[in-house]
Amino acid sequence: MAEMKQDSQADISNAGKNRRSFIAILAGGLAMLGPIGAGILSFLSPLFRKAASPQVRVALLDQVPDDGRPYFFRVVADRQDAWTSYSQQKVGAVYLVRQPGDELPVAFTAKCPHAGCSVGYSAEEQKFKCPCHTSSFNIDGCRVNGDKEVSPRDMDTLEVVLNQVAASDSESVTEVLVTFVDYKTGHSEKILSE
Amino acid sequence: MKKIVSNSIDWLDHRTGIKEVLREALYERVPGGARWRYVWGSALVVAFVTQVITGIFLWMAYSPSTQTAWESVYYIQHEMNGGWLLRGIHHFMASAMVVLLAIHFVQIVWDGAYRAPRELNFVLGLVLMLIVLGLSLTGYLLPWDQKGYWATNVGTELASQTPMAGGAIKKLAVGGSSYGHHTLTRFFALHAGVLPGALVAFLVLHLWLFRRHGLTPKEPRAGPDVLFWPDQVLKDSVAALGILVAVMGVVVYTGGAELTAPADPANNYAAARPEWYFLFLFQFLKWFPGELEVWGAFVIPGLIVGVLFLMPWIGRSRVGHFFNVALLAVLLGGAAMLTVQAIQDDTLAGSADAKFEESGLTATPENEAAFNASREFLRAKRDALHHAERVVDLAKTKGIPPTGALTLVYEDPYLQGPKLFAQNCASCHSYVDRDQPDPAIAFLVNEKPTAPNLFGVGSRKWIEGLLDPKQVAGPDYFGYEGSPFAGEGENTEMVLFVQDDCFGGVLNDAKRAEIKGALKKIAAALSCEATLPLQREQDAQDTAMIAEGRVLIEGGLADLLESGTSCTDCHSFGAQQDIGSPVLDGYMSRQWMIDFLRNPADERFYGDLNDRMPAFAPHDNPQLNQLDDQTLGLIVDWLRGDWVRAKPQAAGDAGNH
Ligand code: FES
Repeated sequence: MAEMKQDSQADISNAGKNRRSFIAILAGGLAMLGPIGAGILSFLSPLFRKAASPQVRVALLDQVPDDGRPYFFRVVADRQDAWTSYSQQKVGAVYLVRQPGDELPVAFTAKCPHAGCSVGYSAEEQKFKCPCHTSSFNIDGCRVNGDKEVSPRDMDTLEVVLNQVAASDSESVTEVLVTFVDYKTGHSEKILSE
Repeated sequence: MKKIVSNSIDWLDHRTGIKEVLREALYERVPGGARWRYVWGSALVVAFVTQVITGIFLWMAYSPSTQTAWESVYYIQHEMNGGWLLRGIHHFMASAMVVLLAIHFVQIVWDGAYRAPRELNFVLGLVLMLIVLGLSLTGYLLPWDQKGYWATNVGTELASQTPMAGGAIKKLAVGGSSYGHHTLTRFFALHAGVLPGALVAFLVLHLWLFRRHGLTPKEPRAGPDVLFWPDQVLKDSVAALGILVAVMGVVVYTGGAELTAPADPANNYAAARPEWYFLFLFQFLKWFPGELEVWGAFVIPGLIVGVLFLMPWIGRSRVGHFFNVALLAVLLGGAAMLTVQAIQDDTLAGSADAKFEESGLTATPENEAAFNASREFLRAKRDALHHAERVVDLAKTKGIPPTGALTLVYEDPYLQGPKLFAQNCASCHSYVDRDQPDPAIAFLVNEKPTAPNLFGVGSRKWIEGLLDPKQVAGPDYFGYEGSPFAGEGENTEMVLFVQDDCFGGVLNDAKRAEIKGALKKIAAALSCEATLPLQREQDAQDTAMIAEGRVLIEGGLADLLESGTSCTDCHSFGAQQDIGSPVLDGYMSRQWMIDFLRNPADERFYGDLNDRMPAFAPHDNPQLNQLDDQTLGLIVDWLRGDWVRAKPQAAGDAGNH
């Protein structure tokens, strides 16, 4: 076989060899560029999508007594996951705390600012505690040990508004709406994740 | 015959050169003779081949999407013949591979087998090691169970903290801004396509270079050189078999790989930990508070891996080689120490119900915090196990709906009841079995209840307690703090009826027993109204007693009592309607309870006497209500012990966990 190759090369002219090589590489490269480009384009598509940040009704004000204790509520919202549309799915959770005399509760997202685990509340210790790397927060969301805590910042608050809705029978109820957004973990400032 | 074989081999060889290839592959020279210490590299290849084989079979049954990933793995694990074994081998061989990698690596460094001309091969080996770790990371998520989901979540959150491109990296890995179908499809493509492909490519290069340079013989040589086939191959094969037997042993011993409950983005999994061989990293991160995290997660590990890649060049001199060996010892020792520490931190409390005071630890705030964290972990672990078993039971008995197993979780009163009760009821009510308190739901015990104990509500036993003069004004019924129905309260008719009308005055033993018997029948009749699923058989058996009880409620009791009163002097029931409330028809039945929760101040129930219980759903428009119908139904079903049971259980354990 090897001899055959040499034989055939001997009588082949080298004229224009560089040009032909160049075109060969170019054409071959272009041929591959199509599929690779299309693949990469679709692979990158998440980068071009923005996360929705809906205002969600999480509770009625009656469910959050002004006793300065945190109340846990799930955030239920419509959600799109690739090809599946979920209506009213649980997308996260918040704690609402209303201090005595206050009208407006404070909302903390249950997502830990450290690395995103769900923060729990220990009624015994009256602290929020993250199960993952033991960050703990006071009821006002501040880190118990300040900068010595694993978490780089205090718990993230979310914007809260109250909404009066007239009930059928001339009374009205007050809804608590929370703007449920996601903040980047691991930074000392609150940075919205896009 | 022989001729045909040798002819065909010749034919094949002429067209492919196969003989030469085989000779190259098998008749490699093994300097100094075959040795057990040369088996590790080939053991790794065998481990990888095992993963490919089991992986392909798993692939045939696996479906990566958020509604099918857990479900298909459940099916593999619990329904397919030998599925648990297949998955078990894949899972534990992955662990074995990490161990083998470590051994292979230590041996290479110790022997200085990375020295010229083998530097590049060492580099290739490190690349292979990183690929294997990548396979492990991506594989952990694929079952889409709570453990894998939350552990991987921490991983991608950390990745998002990569300086500069973090956000983009996370989005690309996750396939969007939050976990979903595309996280699975991407991880699966990496796990089953990209990474194994890369591994094969690098492995081919690794083996090719290995063949080019040959073994690094251990001096002094033990004997004369031999050929790879069959002497070394024999040892390699025996080692491979040994490893497989060991892995199979672990699989059978543990019953296979764990599958925790289906991933639930809205439900924290507090016991999430990475796979054991990443525990050291997890522990290491605890040292880096706040924004120092990047150091723990990227800079230091990155630098260490960088130094590993430079080992062949550092090891050129004696000192350098010594440095390499020492570095490796420090790294492995450190990793082992961190791993032990991570496990110790988690198990410090010893058990999920341990008390700090009894732990023997010095009472410092730090100790207490550490103790509590560990106890939380153990509790979460226990609950998660319990949760997982329950979901599997549900899947087996009810089947998984097209919306996925999470639907089973959210529609199950047994799983949701305690949570909803804790959230909506436990600030006033207690839920505790006085005979056998269940530590797993100790959080439902209210030390200072301001409403009755709802354990076993509507059951005969519960109603008998209500009609017991000793209990009716006790804390489990009407004797809670600030009760309007007992003690100094304004509406003590019921308590007084039980205590005075029934058992006041001078009663001889026979009379007392007669009244007691009547109340027992009343309890049976009233409890029958609840149609509790766990009492169904009992109710069907005791029809006579229940009929008698009904007569007693409808006025018959009055004949026995000196006061001449009975239930229907105050309550509506059966033939006696429009008398008063709470109405006893359908007492504690599903609908009765739901209506009651909707609005306890309704005239069918407590009317104006309701001084504290919130109306959870008084409006027709669900938007205006605190709780929706599904939630109300779940709470009521749970209180009534009305949930699917895998195995039939004895009656009377309503609410028992
Ligand atoms: S994620 Fe909360 S402490 Fe790490």
